[in-house]
Amino acid sequence: MLSGSKSSFKIKQLAPELQVNMRAKFAGTYDEKNGTLGFKCLPGEYIKQAATHVKKYVPSRCGKTFIWGSLFCTNFRISFVPQVKGHNTEKTSNQIILNREHDVVLACIDRVVGVTGQSRSKVLTANSIVRGLLEELVIYCKDFRELHFQFGYRTPQSECIQISTTIAQSYQELSTDHLLTIQRDSTTLWRFDHDSLIRKDVFGTQMFEALQDWEDELMRMGALGWRVSPVNERFDMSTSLPKYNVVPSALLDTDLQKMFTLFNERRIPRLCWHHPRGSDFLRMAYFQTNTDPEKEDMRIVEMLMLACHSQCVLVDVTDDLPNPSEIQTAHVKLRNLCMAFESSVAESDEKWLSTLENTHWLEYVRLCLKKSWEVASLLAERCLCAVLQEPEDRDLNCLVASVVQVMSEPHFRTIRGFQSLIQKEWVVAGHQFRQRLNFARDKDKEESPVFLLFLDCVWQLLQQYPTSFEFTEAYLLAVHDSTHIPFFSTFLSNSQRERQKTNQHLPSEQSYTPVNGWSNLSSRDNLLSGNYLLSKEKTSLPVVWEWSLQYDSHYQALFTNPYYSDSTANTVLNGSIDIQGTVKSDPGCIGSCSVYLLSKGSLSLQTQYLPWKTGSGPKKGSRRAHSVESLSELERSLRKKSVVPVSTDGILLPLLVGPFIRLWKRCYLRGSQGAEVVASVPDSEFLTEEMMFLQTCLKELQLSLDSYSDKKHASTETYSAFRSHFRSGPP
Amino acid sequence: MASVSTYNSNSLEDTSRRLSSRDGMSLEESSTLPHIPGESPVIDKDVIYVCPFNGAVKGKVYITSYRLYFRSQDLDSPVICDVPLGVISRIEKMGGASSRGEHSYGLDITCKDMRNLKFALKQEGHSRRDIFDILTKYAFPLSHNLPFFAFLNEEKFSEDGWKVYEPVREYVRQKYPADKWRITFCNQTYALCDTYPQCLMVPYDATDEDLHKVAAFRSRGRIPVLSWIHPENHAVIMRCSQPLVGMSGKRNKDDEKYLDLIRETNGQTQKLTIFDARPNVNAVANKATGGGYEGEDAYQNAELLFLDIHNIHVMRESLRKLKDIVYPNVEESHWLSSLESTHWLEHIKLVLAGAIQVADKVSSGKMSVVVHCSDGWDRTAQLTSLAMLMLDSYYRTIIGFEVLIEKEWISFGHKFASRIGHGDKNHADADRSPIFLQFIDCVWQITKQFPIAFEFNEQFLSTILDHLYSCRFGTFLYNCESVRQKEGVREKTVSLWSLINSEKIKYTNPFYSRETNGILYPVASMRHLEPWVNYYIRWNPRVRQQHNPVEQRYLEMLALRDDYLRRLKELQESNSPKRANSGNSTSAMVSQVQTRF
Repeated sequence: MLSGSKSSFKIKQLAPELQVNMRAKFAGTYDEKNGTLGFKCLPGEYIKQAATHVKKYVPSRCGKTFIWGSLFCTNFRISFVPQVKGHNTEKTSNQIILNREHDVVLACIDRVVGVTGQSRSKVLTANSIVRGLLEELVIYCKDFRELHFQFGYRTPQSECIQISTTIAQSYQELSTDHLLTIQRDSTTLWRFDHDSLIRKDVFGTQMFEALQDWEDELMRMGALGWRVSPVNERFDMSTSLPKYNVVPSALLDTDLQKMFTLFNERRIPRLCWHHPRGSDFLRMAYFQTNTDPEKEDMRIVEMLMLACHSQCVLVDVTDDLPNPSEIQTAHVKLRNLCMAFESSVAESDEKWLSTLENTHWLEYVRLCLKKSWEVASLLAERCLCAVLQEPEDRDLNCLVASVVQVMSEPHFRTIRGFQSLIQKEWVVAGHQFRQRLNFARDKDKEESPVFLLFLDCVWQLLQQYPTSFEFTEAYLLAVHDSTHIPFFSTFLSNSQRERQKTNQHLPSEQSYTPVNGWSNLSSRDNLLSGNYLLSKEKTSLPVVWEWSLQYDSHYQALFTNPYYSDSTANTVLNGSIDIQGTVKSDPGCIGSCSVYLLSKGSLSLQTQYLPWKTGSGPKKGSRRAHSVESLSELERSLRKKSVVPVSTDGILLPLLVGPFIRLWKRCYLRGSQGAEVVASVPDSEFLTEEMMFLQTCLKELQLSLDSYSDKKHASTETYSAFRSHFRSGPP
Repeated sequence: MASVSTYNSNSLEDTSRRLSSRDGMSLEESSTLPHIPGESPVIDKDVIYVCPFNGAVKGKVYITSYRLYFRSQDLDSPVICDVPLGVISRIEKMGGASSRGEHSYGLDITCKDMRNLKFALKQEGHSRRDIFDILTKYAFPLSHNLPFFAFLNEEKFSEDGWKVYEPVREYVRQKYPADKWRITFCNQTYALCDTYPQCLMVPYDATDEDLHKVAAFRSRGRIPVLSWIHPENHAVIMRCSQPLVGMSGKRNKDDEKYLDLIRETNGQTQKLTIFDARPNVNAVANKATGGGYEGEDAYQNAELLFLDIHNIHVMRESLRKLKDIVYPNVEESHWLSSLESTHWLEHIKLVLAGAIQVADKVSSGKMSVVVHCSDGWDRTAQLTSLAMLMLDSYYRTIIGFEVLIEKEWISFGHKFASRIGHGDKNHADADRSPIFLQFIDCVWQITKQFPIAFEFNEQFLSTILDHLYSCRFGTFLYNCESVRQKEGVREKTVSLWSLINSEKIKYTNPFYSRETNGILYPVASMRHLEPWVNYYIRWNPRVRQQHNPVEQRYLEMLALRDDYLRRLKELQESNSPKRANSGNSTSAMVSQVQTRF
């Protein structure tokens, strides 16, 4: 059937029955239990197509290198399995679902390009017809990876075409339904070997799903005058807000209930963070202008927003920042540029800098950092209340809120703190990950990598302050890449409510526990044949912070920054510093509060910041009358601050001029020519190892010193550790 | 490091008394000024420093035989400018006696190291005449028949930098096969070539007489001589100037024979590769002035490749544009396109790409190469020295790099005096060009791509550049060895390497790993080249002067570990004299650990 179609092969010919045949064929050919070719199916996964004798290009410092192996396309991913001499001896942890080097989840594929004999490249789609001899296959991934495959002469041409077109079809046919299927399947996947997966490896991340996390956070910040309100516990006040929200203690839940309708999406002002010197940092959606609140309600609104401060700065994040669709456009441009889709590298190299500038990505990074910089300095500078405003409070509010906190408090620069921050300001706060990441490819218009822009901002801080973070670039890369794998509850839903619902809808009765453990559980056929015990425990998708699902312990070790100097991380922000300042500047709550708007780097006094007529009473003067006051002390201090970026009290204020906002090369250029220089991993890995070792030695020596002075004998283990290290030592 | 308020431009090595108001000592002026032996005060004056970053600052300027030193009145957060006079490229009077406007009357000083200084003076009498005259006289000694400060410098160092490079020793280090190559002193009197060193390495079979014949056909007698030989495959890098082909396409049998001899000396090569650093069109244009390139017919066993590197005028212009976008203000939103329009990184890329080709030909291709440009002292020096740096890990050590500079640049006649214009008031001289700076920038790019392959750190490179201009040391003075010998530079001045080698730890990269002794191929792509911010933008106080914090942290931790080890050992020795064994093992361990680093 396939013979005679050497030069032209139509994908549509791959009829379903053929696929079944294929499956049968491959089921026979490959002993999936042991993975003769080294490939193991996951639960619910089945091989759609395979090709043997494929070469994969591996970038290396000494020119082009290829490795031989087999290429598989399943209903879940593309996987390349290198030929291993001898038997598959390397112990791969069963828990790790993906090989980061050789696997691509279908949802992560950006485009598939086939190169035919005349070295003509063509983007392959579900309906593509390949003419001529297919020699190479290039998979461009959303996470900026590029996988290059070459077909050897030993691979039958029909096999080459089949695998290529199957890949092209499979990634494009992903739909919401399909995604759900995979999710359902994958839940079974997480259930095996569940004991070892108990959330031991989440670095003590606070999920902010339960009341306790909120209470703990409030305690940690020492935010007096604030309380956790359970008023939205059943999501009946707002479907997109978390169950628990931090509001002024003075407000009763009964008062609070009336507030929700006054805001878009019913997203009321609530506390993000509290500065130890008294400033409060809030976020909220725009007011619902078509409501008609009573005077008493407006008083409560003011209480909510101003939180008993005498000065309040409104920060409208739509003002100076790009909107989600602009961010998306920039990101697409950046990806096209970095992955060099159209032009050859040599041609575009001279224009690289200006082309990079024209993507606007770095400009957006800079603007976000700048805005956060201004807010963070305001919060630190004096005792006030800063409120982030965004129409729906679900995109740039998340970004600015979290960047400000990373800049302001060392806690958020630890792995635990950072993950908790993402939970607090993105995951439960209702960032619409489903739309923004668009796994199902059905929300193209709403796709926008706001979260990736945030990661880039953090990377900028990390590279300007390389010793201030507990985590490394490798860790940020891991978070970045995880957003492209649709199997973690963290990045799949739009809100806490939705996440909870999805988990409920997951087939808890159908969740399986393998009888014979992991290795016997391999294909959908097995799954369907019912070789499982039904489990009664409640199923839920894993959270991304379970890093051992994705990375082995060796790789996870690279997450911790050996150069981290945590001198400031341990200072507890419990409000013990200079409380007097706080009291002093709080003369008498409502009415006497001056409200400013922060825009274009300057503050202007607002007389009418509520949209309703009967707004705040005492200040009735016109805007013009107060334009002089806009050059207030506050603004001057802001200006002065902007002259000299410094890091005081553990605040990280980045440099924002051109040369200091850099391209995150290890992320965006990893697929391109010369990537091996960016990923100068051996070098930095060596250094990292060295530093880790040094730190362990320090700790052990310290311990043995202590025990020495106690027990009067030295720990010999330390010596042997030292000796073995320096004998076998790194190259 | 430096507190923010201290606009501290002092990256130069004046570790001598630093100004500090916190000492509690009486601030006796002369005692708190930095001073090096041999430096003598000349004049001081109350001025206003018109700082482009912090506005006008009142203070006093001190001029000595070596430097211009400004210190603000405000001693709590002092603003300091410390500028060796050699750095000054141009001094202009700004404003006239009748000029209006604040701070419009005074001196405008342009420096060679990417900064400008403006001092405002009171518009009374001829208040600036004396300071202008004195400054001009001391900043441009060459134009006033005065000696360079290097000849007055009385500094003493524990190391003697003049002993770092000894040509014969260096050739022996390269392990040249003595039956194929020979060292010749036929240029002893600089008669063969007045811009070459005395000691040259040539094919064994070429007689001194042959060399003289070849010299006749090479621009300024700069014949092909050996720069480096591959220790295993014996492929060589030769350097020279362009052949004197001219419009008529002259040929010279001796030159042709000589190049073929070079090819034959490395038995494996069928073809000799000649790299002409210039763009093709420039090489052709040079025929009009008697130069040119090796024609195909004449040199049949050679292939000629052009490397497209532009001339000194293009590079000077490019650097000028770069300065425009980094000083005093750094571009904010259009930084990348502005940077692109300077073409500085593009030139860096071409030089690096050329050097990679040279290195690759010698290493992978096992072919001998000849490198030249027009005169063989600018682009040629860049290419040979960078290729050598990529090929030979010795040059990546501190001493090795000093040798590399001494050999490929200083001894082979890179015209430092003309390119830098030491002590010369003619700031617009067309001979000036930042060729050496460009070379150091290329080196920096490679160190960035291979962070553990170099023994030296970033400060080493910027210190070399600082003293390229400062005239404190004799190292970079004059155009070639013959003049240097005549002026008695080695006898009468101090070498820069004396300073550096006496304080080597300061210039050492703590991450250096000797094991990385392979060939380095940097990626010469705009994607992977970066502007050298810590050099070009270091005068901007808004830019944190970061000594690599990771490097510092690493050193801290090393120190901490050593401290732990020491304490452990102490405890052990004092508390358990009985257990002599474990005591020994500790010290054994300690020594083991220490040798590792």
